[in-house]
Amino acid sequence: MNILEELKKILTELLDLDNGDITPETYLIQELGAESIDLLELAVAINSCFKIKVKDEEIFLTRFRLHLTEAEQRKEDAVPYVATKYPFLTAQRVEEIIKNIGKGPQLKVKDVMGYIAFHSKEA
Amino acid sequence: MKKRVVITATSVLSSLGHNPREIIKSFKEGRVSFERPPFDSEVVTAPVKNFSLRDYTGPFKDGRYLNRGAQFAAAAATELIRNSGYRKEDLPDAGLFTGTGPNLDIGGEFPEIRGGNVDREDLRALWILRFLPNTAASAIAKLSGIHGENLTISTACSASLQAIGEAYRRIKDGYLKRAFAGGGDSRLSPGGILAYKKANALYVGNNSPDGASRPFDNSRSGFVPGEGGAFFLLEELEAAEKRGAEILGEICGYGCTLDAYNLTAPEKGVERGRIAVMSALNEAGVSPSKIEVISAHGTSTILNDEREAHLIADLYGKNSPRVIAFKSWIGHASAACGALELALLLICMREEYLPEIRNLDEPCHGEINFVRQGKNVSFRTAVIQNFGFGGQNSALIIRCTR
Repeated sequence: MNILEELKKILTELLDLDNGDITPETYLIQELGAESIDLLELAVAINSCFKIKVKDEEIFLTRFRLHLTEAEQRKEDAVPYVATKYPFLTAQRVEEIIKNIGKGPQLKVKDVMGYIAFHSKEA
Repeated sequence: MKKRVVITATSVLSSLGHNPREIIKSFKEGRVSFERPPFDSEVVTAPVKNFSLRDYTGPFKDGRYLNRGAQFAAAAATELIRNSGYRKEDLPDAGLFTGTGPNLDIGGEFPEIRGGNVDREDLRALWILRFLPNTAASAIAKLSGIHGENLTISTACSASLQAIGEAYRRIKDGYLKRAFAGGGDSRLSPGGILAYKKANALYVGNNSPDGASRPFDNSRSGFVPGEGGAFFLLEELEAAEKRGAEILGEICGYGCTLDAYNLTAPEKGVERGRIAVMSALNEAGVSPSKIEVISAHGTSTILNDEREAHLIADLYGKNSPRVIAFKSWIGHASAACGALELALLLICMREEYLPEIRNLDEPCHGEINFVRQGKNVSFRTAVIQNFGFGGQNSALIIRCTR
């Protein structure tokens, strides 16, 4: 199963998008306008399409800022600490998100793809 | 100081058409949409053909949470913004009064219920929204930018007329300067048909579908479900005149009562129905003799029409106003019927035309002035009557201001 193609299908239908101009670099919230209610539906759709258990707070990086604060409180390096919370993200990706976190929600299609790939292997 | 309340824009999605031109043409050419649904060869319905919410809203992801009735409400409200001359940014202080019905499409929503579980892959996380009565209003608010006082009214077949009446009162009493009011409903799904068929309320038979809805006719035997939506922009007269808005009609009286008698059947003496109409007349300062046209509830059921005819004869005496019955044209749109009937009435008032009550071959009452042939008639004052399951009675008085 091609994860990107399936995900595109789901997002196009769910967000009532006119053209399927979605790439791994597309921002779900900033660009596609996904709201919390849509992420809830997306989790259900991913669960049903890819037959994996979806934890909303992991796949959508919901607690990313919280983990950053935790790292600070524990006086640990942010990147490796946060990376342990998101084993499906590379250290580079975590660093990139931290760098841009002030510029709006950072969740990208490729993050969701990473989660799906990681858990599909597990299954 | 009480305000005068006028209608300055309308929108309508009906089986007769989606604008005044189409609708008046349907009346004059006798064009109706009665047909047998594919899943039941004994009943008749009056569907709105080729309806798609997206044609009105454009891409709208929340459309997935709207049942068909709520989709009609949202489409009509969106069309109203277009017709009103207002933009979304102009409407934060407006009110929103929406008449909606329950989602009865139980089979369509959950065909795979087994042993109390639904094992269905496309079940939405928030499927509940398709069943909540105020989902239509929250979608309309999002589409229109309306933030003001609001109500969702689900008083069965009286719902959207009451929604319009409540909006009228809020403006009259100074709580709002403008409001959207109306509704949408559809119960043509297999679940909806099952519900009313079981309740013995529907027309069931083999006659031509066109002859099934026959309000006030002796051979009537049950109602024919219809569907659709209509919305109105209500404004203070002064404010409407100030902005140079076109005035389509004035609402000048509203009444509603409860029978406190039976959960479905109307009260025997129709006393509370009569009081609802009387209080609307009193509020308008209009005596029954000044009413020129009655838009009757006229469902084509044995009980409603018998009792409504009794009410009309009792209230208006021997020289009754002309009586029309739109359900002979569009079927019974349940919670949306009041809004649809007001939209059709305003079109008739403007076009100075009254359509006949279709299929009225043998009137069930001899002293009522039923309109039996379409004719050009100029009229200025009319009443709309709606009565619903649960003993819900409502009436609205409309006056032409031109």
